Amino acid sequence: MRPILSWPGLRRAFRLGRAADVEREVDEELTHHLELTMRELVERGLPPEAARREAERRIGDLAATRRRLVALDRERVAGERRADWWGALLQDLRYAARGMRRRPGFAVAVVLTLGLGIGANATMFGIVDRLLLRPPAYLADAGRVHRVWFGHRTSEGTVFFGGNTSYRRYLDLVADTAHFDVVTAFVDPSVAVGLGTDVQEMHVLGVTASYWRLFAMRPVVGRFFSEAENQEPTGSPVAVLGYDYWRAAYAGRADAVGKTLHVGQRDYTIIGVAPAGFMGTSMGNVVAILPITAALFEATGRPEPIRSYGLTWPEIVVRRRAGVSVAAADAALTLDFQRSYAQQSVEMPGLPPIGEFQPRAGAASILKDAGPGASPEAEVSLWLVGVAAIVLIIACANVGNLLLARAFGRRREIAVRLALGIGRGRLLAQLLTESVLLAVLGGAAGLAIAQWGGGVLRAALIPDVDWSSMLADPRVIAFGAAAALAAGLLAGLAPAWHAGRSDVASSLKAGVREGTFHRSRTRTALLVVQGALSVVLLVGAGLFVRSFDKVRSVRLGYDADRLLWVNPNMRSVKLDTMPASQLRDRLVAAALRVPGVEASARAGSVPLQGGWWWNVVVPGLDTAYTNHIGGGLVLLQPASPGYFQAMGTRLLRGRGFTAADQAASPLVTVLSQAMATALWKGADPIGRCVKIGADTAPCRSVVGVAEDIVDNDFESKAEMTYYVPVAQWHPEGGGLFVRTRGPADRDAEAVRTALQRQMPGDAYVTVRPMSDLVGTRMRQWDLGAAMFTIFGALALVVAAIGLYSVTAYGVAQRTHELGVRVALGAEARDLVRMVLGEGLRLTAVALVLGLAAALLAGRFVAPLLFETSPRDPLVLAAVAALICVTAVAASAVPAMRASRVAPSVALRDE
Amino acid sequence: MAADLELLQGTLDLLVLKALAWGPRHGYDVARWVRETTHDDLRIEEGALYTALHRMEQRRWLAAEWGVSDNNRRAKYYQLTAAGRRELKAQAAAFSRYATAMFKVLQTA
Repeated sequence: MRPILSWPGLRRAFRLGRAADVEREVDEELTHHLELTMRELVERGLPPEAARREAERRIGDLAATRRRLVALDRERVAGERRADWWGALLQDLRYAARGMRRRPGFAVAVVLTLGLGIGANATMFGIVDRLLLRPPAYLADAGRVHRVWFGHRTSEGTVFFGGNTSYRRYLDLVADTAHFDVVTAFVDPSVAVGLGTDVQEMHVLGVTASYWRLFAMRPVVGRFFSEAENQEPTGSPVAVLGYDYWRAAYAGRADAVGKTLHVGQRDYTIIGVAPAGFMGTSMGNVVAILPITAALFEATGRPEPIRSYGLTWPEIVVRRRAGVSVAAADAALTLDFQRSYAQQSVEMPGLPPIGEFQPRAGAASILKDAGPGASPEAEVSLWLVGVAAIVLIIACANVGNLLLARAFGRRREIAVRLALGIGRGRLLAQLLTESVLLAVLGGAAGLAIAQWGGGVLRAALIPDVDWSSMLADPRVIAFGAAAALAAGLLAGLAPAWHAGRSDVASSLKAGVREGTFHRSRTRTALLVVQGALSVVLLVGAGLFVRSFDKVRSVRLGYDADRLLWVNPNMRSVKLDTMPASQLRDRLVAAALRVPGVEASARAGSVPLQGGWWWNVVVPGLDTAYTNHIGGGLVLLQPASPGYFQAMGTRLLRGRGFTAADQAASPLVTVLSQAMATALWKGADPIGRCVKIGADTAPCRSVVGVAEDIVDNDFESKAEMTYYVPVAQWHPEGGGLFVRTRGPADRDAEAVRTALQRQMPGDAYVTVRPMSDLVGTRMRQWDLGAAMFTIFGALALVVAAIGLYSVTAYGVAQRTHELGVRVALGAEARDLVRMVLGEGLRLTAVALVLGLAAALLAGRFVAPLLFETSPRDPLVLAAVAALICVTAVAASAVPAMRASRVAPSVALRDE
Repeated sequence: MAADLELLQGTLDLLVLKALAWGPRHGYDVARWVRETTHDDLRIEEGALYTALHRMEQRRWLAAEWGVSDNNRRAKYYQLTAAGRRELKAQAAAFSRYATAMFKVLQTA
């Protein structure tokens, strides 16, 4: 007789002989064989006992045979199980692909939704990885390498001044070989590279020779420099080129070594090339790496400051010895710093005594943004990671909802499959396979979005970091893949769970009409979660947009958008006071001849860039008081005639400077309003006497009052400034402002070319739009506003799609019920109201939950905002309105569809 | 038991495949068919025969299922798969060429 089971599919479904059964089956088969053999022998006349012996003899070694068969079958079963698994996966994939081909719109919606969510996360991961997670390229033993921070202790705790310190401090710390096997210092200033009209300021890295020991790398060609080439005061003129610059400027030729490169004031011999991607311990690309002594000389233009505690440019990096804990390193650095501070006090009398100042130092992460002194951009970025994660959760909830809707639509199909005997496990696997496949496609889309969209975003918002391509970064790819897998499982969870519970009999009985309508509680919950999270993000977006708006509308006291700041750099050209001053006057004249230039004037310093802070002495006022106005810092700004007009700073009283205010003329000054108010309260300041620095200085009479300017940061309002004619205060220094008619950056190059012609020898000018400086300071809010808005809009769109699809599905499913209602006399208006009402009820719940969550989270985001309360009523109201409008829009189409249901159509469905 | 020829290396598989060429059989059936067809000329240890069946099942030349045998007992039936049929063809052709060649050699005096 033939076996009953011969259809392959069924055979697989009913397969016998799993691992546990193997032995039993072998025994059964052998027993069967022995019995049949015995029966045959007995029939031929052998006595049963002899027949049994003969049967066993024919088998041979029975025990060994049994062992061999069991082993063979075990192998076979394991192999079949593997094949089954792959086969099932392949089958599920084919099933999922077929489903997607049948409903391409659905697949595209899901892939796009997940793609946006994953793309947002991959972008943020790329940013945070670069700023906070990934150690610098080639760095060896990254865990033991630290930036050193400095600070001091006050009654309120430790005040950080960040990592910048002097080369002298480095020399004091380098002796600590007990705790550190490398102590090294670096600077990364912008220095003029090249000669003639090609000259450009570029980032160079200045390092001590021990810096190379931090990295496990070899030069691409040539060699690195030694400590013998890093001798005070100016070091040897040798340079190691950065890889990218070598490729760009020397076409990657090995014979670049031995050539010279003009940096700052000197010709540097190229001795080697650093490997690709090397950026030292900073984030930006570097043109060349010089001995730190040489770099400091070129950056300052003078050899003296190297020996001074006052030049605080370098940063120190240490590597802990194995076995020295971070706490021990902190303690050692603090002790070293205190010893160094004691020495500094000897050389610089007037420092606060060490007992009062309490110097402190410590070992921070090698990544600047992960330690004290992190940039606000890094903080905002961390927030955005959370935001991106929320976007992904919303996307998952939405996709889950869509899949759920589809699973409901397929209830009958699923019931049939269950009835045919498919295992629930297989069914779940199938549904999960489908969602994971969609998520993997979404992940691919997400990486593409991160590559194109994210690239633009990163370069625009955090420009001074050298971003490599996202797709070239295996960590981002791995993250994208992990996010896709997690999203797929998350989105597939609810539908799979539902399918697993579905009741075969009732689904089959329900017939074509798919039973009575009942809203799924899971779907409603998912919808509310999406809505609430969107509200949170939109509130965040609103708060940052308000902040950015406020910070942009801060009256700076000058027109940043139409200003260029020109800085003459003399390099090796030495000029006396008079020729230096005349050169600057010639630059002003040359600038005024450039078409598109409206005004130009000289100035001693640039707002936001620092300058001279000199306290004033006012006869009749207590110096203890005048020394403390403006928080102890009042800015002295030398300015030429036309300065206020060029800057766009309004004069509130009196006059500005004129050509008559010469060195020999009566000494005059103009005060900022806050300073005038601080000194004389309401009284008229014009004509009063102000002395610079000391009581012994001559009287300057106040001739005018100017509006306040934003100088150091946007939040400290009463920045105090006083102006003196440049002719009366160091006329040899400073630069000039050029005011253009149009946007400043458009004319920057024309101005630079015109002014460069005036520069003698290897001297050159740099021309920078003032808006760049201002923009850098605003970036924190700019970044927050842009990213929160993008993510918030994304979330809103996704949530709206979710609401639409759920409502539309509900209407489609209720066609019969709606038809009955119409037949019973309901009007179109009633049906619209009913459908809209349901959408809005859900929205109201989501809104309440979302606003509550936003208010709770607001406390934490408050420090990042600018003059905006996290409970800003305007923002909350706007978000509420936006959500309601979106909800109405999303449910309007299904509502209209509901109103057009004809009773006959509905009843025919029966 | 007559001449009791030793089975040539590698021919057991061919024998079993041939036994299954006419349709599914259980192990005892295969053994009996071989015995009857060869008139008991070949001495085959039945343990080795079962090992061959299971090994070929693992290689997917044979597919096995449990069915009900003539005496109303559960028995494991083997049948050729497509791969098994190809194997039978290939091995039969190879063996024929081999036997013909051997025969020629032996006929030359």
